[in-house]
Amino acid sequence: MTEPYRLTPQLALRVAILGGIVLATFAVLFLRLWALQILSGTQYLRTAQNNQLRALRLQAARGAILDRNGRVLVRNTAGLSVQIWPADLPKDRAVRARMLRRLAFVIKVPYARLQREIAARSDDPLTPLTVKRGIHDDQLYHLEEKKEAFPGVVVAQSYLREYPYRALAAQLVGHVGEASQEELDGNPELRLGDEVGKAGIESAYDGFLRGEAGSARLRVDSLGRPRGEPELSDIPVGGRALRLTIDVRLQRAAEQALRYGIRLAKGNEAWNANGGALVALDPRDGAVLALASNPTYKPSLFVGKPDLEKLAPFLDEGRAAKENFPSLNRAIEGRYPPGSTFKPVTALAAMEEHLVSPYASLDCTPSYESHGQTFDNWTPNYDQPMSLPTALATSCDTYFYQLGEAFYDLPPERGQPLQLWAGRLGFGKTTGLDVGAEAPGLLPTIDWRRRYFTRERYPRTWEQERLWKPGDSIQLAIGQKDIQVTPLQMARFYALVANGGKLVTPHVVDRAEQPMRNGRRPIVLQRFTPPAPQPVDVDPGALAAVREGLLLATHAGFGTSSGVFGSFPVSIAGKTGTAEKAVNGRLEDQSWWCGYGPTDRTAEIVVCALIENGGHGGSAAAPAALKVFEQYFGRRGTFVAPTETD
Amino acid sequence: MLDYAGTGAAARRTGIRRSRSEEATSLVRQIDWVLMGAVAALVAYGLWAIAGITREDVDGDPSYFVVRQGVFAALGTAGMLVAVLVDPSLYRRFSRAIYVCTVGIMGLVFVAGSVTRGSRRWLDVGFTQFQPSEFGKLLFVLALAGFLADRRRRTGETATILRAVGLALVPIVLVFLQPDFGTALVYAAALGAVLFVAGARWLHVAALAALAALAALALLWLLPAFGIEVLKPYQSARLTAFTAPDSDPSDTTYNLNQSKLAVGAGGLRGRGVEGSTQTNLGLLPEHRTDFAFASLAEQRGFVGASILLCLYLLVLWRGVRIIPTAGDAFSAIAAGGIVVALLFQVFVNVGMTMGIAPITGIPLPFVSVGGSSMIANLVTIGVLQAIQIRSRGVPRRP
Repeated sequence: MTEPYRLTPQLALRVAILGGIVLATFAVLFLRLWALQILSGTQYLRTAQNNQLRALRLQAARGAILDRNGRVLVRNTAGLSVQIWPADLPKDRAVRARMLRRLAFVIKVPYARLQREIAARSDDPLTPLTVKRGIHDDQLYHLEEKKEAFPGVVVAQSYLREYPYRALAAQLVGHVGEASQEELDGNPELRLGDEVGKAGIESAYDGFLRGEAGSARLRVDSLGRPRGEPELSDIPVGGRALRLTIDVRLQRAAEQALRYGIRLAKGNEAWNANGGALVALDPRDGAVLALASNPTYKPSLFVGKPDLEKLAPFLDEGRAAKENFPSLNRAIEGRYPPGSTFKPVTALAAMEEHLVSPYASLDCTPSYESHGQTFDNWTPNYDQPMSLPTALATSCDTYFYQLGEAFYDLPPERGQPLQLWAGRLGFGKTTGLDVGAEAPGLLPTIDWRRRYFTRERYPRTWEQERLWKPGDSIQLAIGQKDIQVTPLQMARFYALVANGGKLVTPHVVDRAEQPMRNGRRPIVLQRFTPPAPQPVDVDPGALAAVREGLLLATHAGFGTSSGVFGSFPVSIAGKTGTAEKAVNGRLEDQSWWCGYGPTDRTAEIVVCALIENGGHGGSAAAPAALKVFEQYFGRRGTFVAPTETD
Repeated sequence: MLDYAGTGAAARRTGIRRSRSEEATSLVRQIDWVLMGAVAALVAYGLWAIAGITREDVDGDPSYFVVRQGVFAALGTAGMLVAVLVDPSLYRRFSRAIYVCTVGIMGLVFVAGSVTRGSRRWLDVGFTQFQPSEFGKLLFVLALAGFLADRRRRTGETATILRAVGLALVPIVLVFLQPDFGTALVYAAALGAVLFVAGARWLHVAALAALAALAALALLWLLPAFGIEVLKPYQSARLTAFTAPDSDPSDTTYNLNQSKLAVGAGGLRGRGVEGSTQTNLGLLPEHRTDFAFASLAEQRGFVGASILLCLYLLVLWRGVRIIPTAGDAFSAIAAGGIVVALLFQVFVNVGMTMGIAPITGIPLPFVSVGGSSMIANLVTIGVLQAIQIRSRGVPRRP
């Protein structure tokens, strides 16, 4: 091959083509550059300017909850929370998983939970996800020291709820938690990750407590690391403080009284006594002074990202039953047969309907026969005529059976006056308390039986059950069988007896306040004035007879709780109750006591106590109620031994 | 053997003896000074660009990367000068050795290479690391050019083409397996150019182009459809991302979107070094290497980016000019391969930052931070100059 190399036309053509390709390539690049930078430059510039600015949501401090004297039930404490910015997490799956595992270990949150929560937010990578609230110092130091090892993880300031009185008034106060999807959908002000009240006052007055979140803009780099200080664009407005009608000292006494009552019940071989409720009301205006429910819990369990295991009694049905439903506010949600505490209702109704006159005598016999059925008195020791006050004081069942029968025997055109009066006196419907999910209870009527006992529900017995029988009226007269009331309804009724016939609207929150610095008096922003007490047209004479009976019950030798209240320096009137209720397939006595004091001047306080499965009213509930009166009046009683009474 | 006018070897053989100084003067005269100036400007411009791009990268040392890059540029310039002095026919004579060497260092990466971000591309040579596949580009072109020049008369035969393709596939596959898909593409582009300039028949060129298209289709679509994943998922995602940039804003196309944002935000005059948030806040990934162009475009705008592109165009234009005047077939083929490889790198890298080319890890020649790339590219220019010096058609001095 010796011929010299020369430029062939073929090669020239190909070089020309190469040159053409070079020119074409650059033409494309220039055009694209032109399109991006000149034609859409402004638009890209705007996007880029926002690219590194992040909107931060600044949580407002939640308002405090104070008792009537300004003692703090719930307040905020500054805490640190761990947030994840999903967009900044490592992109590589393995790296991300390793990092999250480590994070999970450091902040003691299950890895699976982290994963789940991040996955749930995959459609919104630019909103921080709070995975833990309230971390300890050592955790903070670890995260801050090894910052580079935790991309996308930020420690942020946050507020945590703090409960100086720990479990006190737990069910009433409620707790806060991250807003659920439904809550977010229902309130446009809420954003993902915001905390809202979940129960109790926290929930009912959430709008006052929450305040308004602010916002700030923060420059960050691609790892989410802040560059510079946040620029405040909207100042967060702290929530308002709530002043309650509750008195912390009385509340504490009430809760101690419940535990005391349960202990007493157990001492009386009521082994199943395991819960209770106690309501203290001001009969003049319905202000709730104490609202206790047992068993209880520490609301602090819900603070931060709570431990799910510790919350099991609240989330899991089975566990809740095992712990006897600690989150249930028995004072307003618990439904119980009232037993003998209901007798004053029957008495008032009977007198109003002229079925009995207060001082005429009816026989109090050991048992009562009606339509072939025998109804016993609670004690066989009485066999004598009694006036209405005495019958109330001795809690004579057979006396009230006769009234029940009388109601039953009324001609149909007179309707069902006992139920009518019970309804007027506040039973069978909610009381209008400003907090919580109140139960209306149940006021059995002829209609109700007909509606409730259907072929579908009771295929075998419905034809019998749907009829209103004499026994229904007779049992209702002593607060048994189908009737269900809440302790709050009961307290409200006794308030009516105490205040001379006015039905109050119970309320817990008195006013919203703007807290002031330097110990200056807070500014009242709003008063939550409840509706004025509604007079129920009760005959004063009838009411006087009932009040006399209640006073005899606590002071006469034959009174059912005179052993408890007889020697108390302040004059208290009240009624015991021992209501049978089917619990787990067997009948258990629900121990009741409701009453008020003082009786010699305007009554200031109504107390209604209930010990679940606590046996006789005089032996568990009455001594518990006494504890609350002792605290309220600052006087000690001399209750010595529990009495066995109805 | 062919007889070349103007080469040192030919001169010696024909007995025309010139003094060394004469030779040196002619060397200097025949160097393409426009190309030289363009490359010098490119390197200087690249350093200036990098100075701005990397200012915020190392806390307390804003010139860390510029200084390093300057040292590499100096080393590369030395390498370029050496390459200018080497007679290209030497490469042709030893083209087999070069081929073996190419395949050898590629293979060595697998044995002794260090793993960076999941791929084995680097060789540790004590004081520094170097990336054989960068130098491999030049060696690859020279080896193939030697093979084809030896069979200049038979480049129209299918067998020759097939052998050339077969030879080329070995390093291509090795680079692909590192995995360095982008560089493998550069090799493939160089192979096509070399065959094209060597005079492969149009039919063969067309067939190869069709095959390449088919291979791309198979890699990205057909084989995965049958469950055979030749490409790693991230690779195929990046390759196809530019066709649908909004498909997944969080992951694969994040880079692409940030890059387009950076380029677009640059506007006409650029946002300056201080104001380039995409670069400085680290929102733009790999901003001093693979996405250096986007950074430059953000900081210096359309004006700054256009200057860079014009410099590339100038360099490539002078490179294309060398092909027809090359002194022999080998030189012409090698020049063609070198020019196309460079063009391909520039297009794919710049195109990728603007969303018109697949995202591959190809550095921007003379600009991206990286010693191997800088030195290899300068040496490549040196070889191009060596070819130019010994070209025909330049009037010999009496």
